Amino acid sequence: MPRFRMMDVDLTTGTSKITDVTDRFETWLGGTGVATSLLAETDPGIDPFAPEAPIIFAIGPFNAVYPVCTKTVAMFKSPLTGNLGESHAGGRLAMAMFGAGIHVLRITGRAPAFSYLTINDDKAVVKQGNSLRGTSALAAERILRDREDTTHKKSIVRIGPAGERLSPIAEVTVDSSRHFGRMGLGAVMGSKNLKGFVISGGSYWPIENLAAYTPFYKKLYDTVVKSTAMQKYHDLGTAMNVVPLSRINGLPTRNFSQGFFEGAADISGEKFAEKHLSQQIACAHCQVGCIHMASLRELFDPEHYQYKSFKVSYDHELVYALGSNLSIQSTEEVLRLLIVIEKQGWDAISIGVTLAWAVDSFQKGIIGQKETDNLILNFGDGATYEKVLNRIIAGHNEFYRDLERGSDFCARKYGGLDRSIAFGKVEAAGYMTGTYAFLGYATGVRHSHLDAAGYSIDQKGLAKPKSDEEQTKELYQEAVWRHVLNSLVICLFARNVYTKEIILEGLNALNLTGWTEERLMTMARRAHALKFRYKMACGFRFEDVGLPEKLTRVMTSAGVVAGDRYRAQMQAFRAMVEADIRALP
Amino acid sequence: MAKLLRVVNREQCIGCYSCMYACSRTWAKAITVEKAALRIRNYAGVEGAFSIRPCVGCDEPDCAAACPTGALTRRKFGGVQFKAETCNHCGACVQACASKALQWDVEKRIPLVCHHCGVCTQFCPRDVIAMVEIPREA
Repeated sequence: MPRFRMMDVDLTTGTSKITDVTDRFETWLGGTGVATSLLAETDPGIDPFAPEAPIIFAIGPFNAVYPVCTKTVAMFKSPLTGNLGESHAGGRLAMAMFGAGIHVLRITGRAPAFSYLTINDDKAVVKQGNSLRGTSALAAERILRDREDTTHKKSIVRIGPAGERLSPIAEVTVDSSRHFGRMGLGAVMGSKNLKGFVISGGSYWPIENLAAYTPFYKKLYDTVVKSTAMQKYHDLGTAMNVVPLSRINGLPTRNFSQGFFEGAADISGEKFAEKHLSQQIACAHCQVGCIHMASLRELFDPEHYQYKSFKVSYDHELVYALGSNLSIQSTEEVLRLLIVIEKQGWDAISIGVTLAWAVDSFQKGIIGQKETDNLILNFGDGATYEKVLNRIIAGHNEFYRDLERGSDFCARKYGGLDRSIAFGKVEAAGYMTGTYAFLGYATGVRHSHLDAAGYSIDQKGLAKPKSDEEQTKELYQEAVWRHVLNSLVICLFARNVYTKEIILEGLNALNLTGWTEERLMTMARRAHALKFRYKMACGFRFEDVGLPEKLTRVMTSAGVVAGDRYRAQMQAFRAMVEADIRALP
Repeated sequence: MAKLLRVVNREQCIGCYSCMYACSRTWAKAITVEKAALRIRNYAGVEGAFSIRPCVGCDEPDCAAACPTGALTRRKFGGVQFKAETCNHCGACVQACASKALQWDVEKRIPLVCHHCGVCTQFCPRDVIAMVEIPREA
């Protein structure tokens, strides 16, 4: 039977140790389950930037082992929300952690000098790197790859300048264009004086049960590559949603003023593919290749025919956050903003939604030219948005410094809370399909569209109406089920490939026996409840996660969202979570 | 004429490493990319630029010529064969391969010789690599 190990790194002392955590994996499966159990053992009152605050990276028993099980879970105390922080990223990190022979990496402490960390098999070294300070997230990768020429395949994880400035919407970039985007992990790394880490190693699992593993792997491979199960992700990618969502009034436009974007066809998945798609790339051990890389070629000196080219990835969320929600209908302008954001290392959704709040508030007179130092904020003005981003980077004045603290912070300070489209202080993702999209953001443990895909419940409800009781139960059950997927840690794009039956077959093929559907679901319910118990211990309250007032006045795919209905269903969801918390052992 | 492994559509590579997993799984019965007899190399800052390094099955293999113990010998129709019991683990073979196609098993300190079996091509989702008939001396 495979064994699981955790590496602890203390940046303060530069020391590390390895612990066998197989027992914990037997209880909590892996990934998010294991990370939750570890975070729940820490003091909920801790400052997210305290040296003792841990960053926990965890993978599960399917990572590096089966196709499309590519994600790593990061768990931490969020500087954005003040409670549980969780974010997932792909790239090569899961493969490299597996190669280093660890399924959990827990980082605590604060390096005495600006540093980066290398992990090679069992050896962790904290290395001083003052010259890395201020480097973009992209430059840092080039430098670290050059500097740390490892024997084995590696993963490079790092922050940009936004993380160094402790922006609570700073992300952590993993390898090529993958991110721990949400909830401010970048700032937590920055608070630890940690620019990044490079991880690699030569550990592996021998295939113990060849007769079971090989045909099972082939079956999965054929489903992933030869069936239509994952076709949309490698064809146009999630950006294929842009036009269909707009058609059903579900694409957030001009800070969620409406769900129809008149310029949707100009920033559609098709348009990006035709004009910019240079190729699709993949996370390690994913044969789908959903990462859509756009090329942007710019003439910078017309007189002498001098061109430069950028490559940057795009998907639906980025097209929404820097496109329709800012009323930008030029693919080039979306990409130009993305390049700045990618280099700085901000979460693209959060910075985009915060910009949208600023424009909306400017137009309502809540903020003015005094704050913007004479910039006039209009929807659709990409050139001015670039100036805004550059002023944030330069720390131009207090207002611009505040903008990188997220829309909730800004709205509480300057006003316009009714138009700050954040749930639990986390800026909303790109769906305004109805009550369940919003309830999904509100009730999600990480306030993400990925927690339970409420937008999908809205869309199904359009075709076949159901009662609120049924739909809220569906939302809760999906949130719980995803704790199984996120413990393994499967890319959620493959959620229809990895059914309960497939998962149990996969565990058995690894000789991880004894798992049943009931045991999986019990673990998932407990992990979900434990997260809420931790959140509540940090001060989270369901009743504080209100529906931004603006959203009660706009037309979504499913019509106007009534405040009472939202509150009633929040209450219903909360009752299910509280019952689970009471049942915790 | 025998079939040898060839890169036929380098630009279509998505960098998933599925080929390396297939090779390790088949020949080393191990879940890893580190036991594979080919390597997908990627370059920082130019996302999507992959270089695929498979054994090309040289007519006059430099790796075999560099082997001081005769553990690596030329194989009929291209490629090399490896006698583990003769290997002195010096690594000269890997150093001799100019295209860095011959990989090294760090754990066992032996070269990872490509058998040109084609299993990697069966797990390439984008037809980047293929088995191609190449004229080679018997």
